[in-house]
Amino acid sequence: MSMKKMSIAERLGTVSYVNQGKSEAKPHILVDTDICNHTCPHKATTYVCPANCYTIDEAGKVHFQFEDCIECGTCMYACDQNAVTWHYPDPESGRGVKWNFG
Amino acid sequence: MDEKFDCIVIGGGVAGLSAAMTLARNNMKFLLIERGEFSGSKNVSGGVLWGDGLASLVPDYQDEEDGGWERFINHRRLTFMDGQSAFSIDFKSDHFEEKPYKGVIVLRAKFDNWLAGKVQEAIDASDYAEDSFIATSILVEEVLMENGKAVGIRAGEEKFHADCVILAEGVNNLLTRQVGLQDQYVPADYLATGVKEIIRFDRKVLEDRFQLDGLSGMSNEFLGFATDGIEGGGFLYTNRDSISLGLVLGMKSMREKMKPNDRKIYDILTHFKQHPAVKDMIRGGEVVEYSGHAVSTGDMRVMPKEVYADGVLIAGEAANLLMNSGKAIQGMDYALHSGVLAAEAVIDAKKKGDFSAASLKQYREALEDSFVMKDMRNFQKAVHFLHSEQLFGMVPNLVCDFGRQFFTIENKPTPKTGKMLSNAVKRHSSYTELLKLGIKGARAL
Repeated sequence: MSMKKMSIAERLGTVSYVNQGKSEAKPHILVDTDICNHTCPHKATTYVCPANCYTIDEAGKVHFQFEDCIECGTCMYACDQNAVTWHYPDPESGRGVKWNFG
Repeated sequence: MDEKFDCIVIGGGVAGLSAAMTLARNNMKFLLIERGEFSGSKNVSGGVLWGDGLASLVPDYQDEEDGGWERFINHRRLTFMDGQSAFSIDFKSDHFEEKPYKGVIVLRAKFDNWLAGKVQEAIDASDYAEDSFIATSILVEEVLMENGKAVGIRAGEEKFHADCVILAEGVNNLLTRQVGLQDQYVPADYLATGVKEIIRFDRKVLEDRFQLDGLSGMSNEFLGFATDGIEGGGFLYTNRDSISLGLVLGMKSMREKMKPNDRKIYDILTHFKQHPAVKDMIRGGEVVEYSGHAVSTGDMRVMPKEVYADGVLIAGEAANLLMNSGKAIQGMDYALHSGVLAAEAVIDAKKKGDFSAASLKQYREALEDSFVMKDMRNFQKAVHFLHSEQLFGMVPNLVCDFGRQFFTIENKPTPKTGKMLSNAVKRHSSYTELLKLGIKGARAL
């Protein structure tokens, strides 16, 4: 039996997060999606983010959510349009990853 | 804590902990701040800690029943793949079993935490057992500057003061940027993203499948099909009862060759896992963690302008000290050694009572004299060579084509090997292209 293909939701299901139980966490990355939607020629964050935090809806608009972010940093480099303001999450009020293996 | 520390180390990864270990052993009063709940909880690597540096940091680590490491490497393999085939260069030798080992496979959540425990033991044995600390779950937001010199840090409302600060914050080096040693925006050109899965097996299955004996382990790197046309490579490392399987993918290459509403980075990992040779290796395993992280490639153009300033030293991947020369991805060994050298500069600065840039320059000199900068400078061409388009498609395809001809036996006359080779060359490239690439490669390596 070969391994079945995993969806990104299943993959992220294996990740542990800080403050996982908290309903509200403070976002640690701010994205100016106006730039993504109006001036960005590549929208690269929507395919380079390993946690699929950046998505495109049917109308072609970019959306960002920080809850699944694994703090890898990729978007901070891949975005050359100055749309991403990147910080580390606050250990108390933020979210962010907690690796079991790393 | 109003009292001033000799040094504040920011980041409890390999670089920060190696610095801290050195500080503790030399009776320095320091504070190490880690933003994760424990050391390693925010850290990801491939990962092999190459070289024998760990033996000097924790001399008896090899004999510990359950040290922080997974397996020592005695088996290495480089695999070229096309869609159907895998052609490997495979090297296994008893000489790898001599201690100190020349490479240990680690999982950072376990390894860093274990190493932090060793640092705490060193603190407890030092003159500052009550005054040096490892603090976790604290995010340093700012390096405090006075007259252009770092004098401490701020975390939330709290401020801590020290004669100097070692930044060991990892590749996403926000504080290195804040103190002005690196530009605020670092372009994607010289960075990659690693994505990885930890796949667990029954330990016996794992040991039989990969021919592991006791704590021996294997590292396998992959070129070609693995990255589906994107610059980069794949890796497989054996842990105690799991494997680390992943890809390192060039960010700029991804940005240019992929597009929205199409395949995503993790789809390439799925693609890699579908290769027949990989499928056979992961059969029956269970994915217990998926992870990812930005990683430097070794191109020195991304390095901070300098690795020291007044009251500041930068160690490990915060200084982009990492290199993929094609032989191995070396980062944690550089982190370990640079952490030690940074701490030694701090110890000497304390003796001199001088933490100025002029005094801390010693760190740069020591780094330049060590294998870290010597190798990075020597192998810059190799790092650039690895960006050659042909290495991700043409070369692996050609090698596999030749392999398929060479290893296939049929009931018909067999062409000479030279003929097989020229067949493969004609199908995928030309002798002129190969010669050019060969010369470039020979110069690089």
